[in-house]
Amino acid sequence: MTYKRVSGDAVEYEVFARKTRGEPLHQVGSVVAPDDDLAMAYARATYDEERWCEMAIVRKENVIALWQPGEN
Amino acid sequence: MSLSDLVLSIADNKQMLGLRYAEWATRAPSLEADIAAAAMGLDDLGHSRVLYGCLEPLGADPRGPERETDPASLRALPYFDEPWSEWAQFVAANAILDTAFTVMVESCVSGSVEVLQHRLRKMLMEERYHFLHGRSWLRSGIDAVPLNRAWQEAVEWFGPADGEVASLHRDGRLSMGPAELLVRLEEQLEMKAPKLSIDWKQWDAIRRRSAPGAIDQSTFAMLRGLEEKKYAPSAVPKA
Repeated sequence: MTYKRVSGDAVEYEVFARKTRGEPLHQVGSVVAPDDDLAMAYARATYDEERWCEMAIVRKENVIALWQPGEN
Repeated sequence: MSLSDLVLSIADNKQMLGLRYAEWATRAPSLEADIAAAAMGLDDLGHSRVLYGCLEPLGADPRGPERETDPASLRALPYFDEPWSEWAQFVAANAILDTAFTVMVESCVSGSVEVLQHRLRKMLMEERYHFLHGRSWLRSGIDAVPLNRAWQEAVEWFGPADGEVASLHRDGRLSMGPAELLVRLEEQLEMKAPKLSIDWKQWDAIRRRSAPGAIDQSTFAMLRGLEEKKYAPSAVPKA
């Protein structure tokens, strides 16, 4: 049986986390998933080896780049 | 049957769920799903350890010596008797059975027994991600056969309307009885259980299942550490 993914093509998500309230969120990696729910489950499973006090995911397509490497 | 028997049933089922999840850690449809299978397997094996640890404080540990030799003495559902051969079986267990165990854990945490209120609370946070994983894959569409089987076994596992879970609910040790557990499960999954026919006369109140049988010998041997002994160096007789 072929599994039709929920929202069509899989989407790339950036994963951000921090260990203490005092430090800024920083990117710890990325996951690919067809929807936000699965992306949350995948991010938690993949990057759970540290004791993060906060973790968040953002769709890569929603990140607005001001400039890219080599452009400034 | 007592609250300890129920906790042992949750523990045995989570142990088997964890092992079956782990078997898919290199067979799932994507690398992310592989990692999720491994992580959820570790979670559920950890949860089973916590639950086994609650038996003594509850005052009555129902585990007897037969658990060392008889796989049918373990209290896992028939769904876990054999390794899963299809991803759909994984998804149905992840969405329906894992969530059924979670709503029972919720019922313990919101009940009146202090040791369960305190020790099981963290499980609910970890289970949130199992639920998101299972529900998302479930929405992608899976075969009806494993899905209906998982529903059947979940409802059987909750028990009959006049059984021990209902009685534990009446006296406040559980916050939900079988009917409330099913409603909660359906609400969580945003779907109704299929029409089920359950012959409670065939139902084993201790193992919380109707079908006979037991986990496969290889898994049982692994659980007991017997598989490991095959690789141990032979004992050298003393001169």
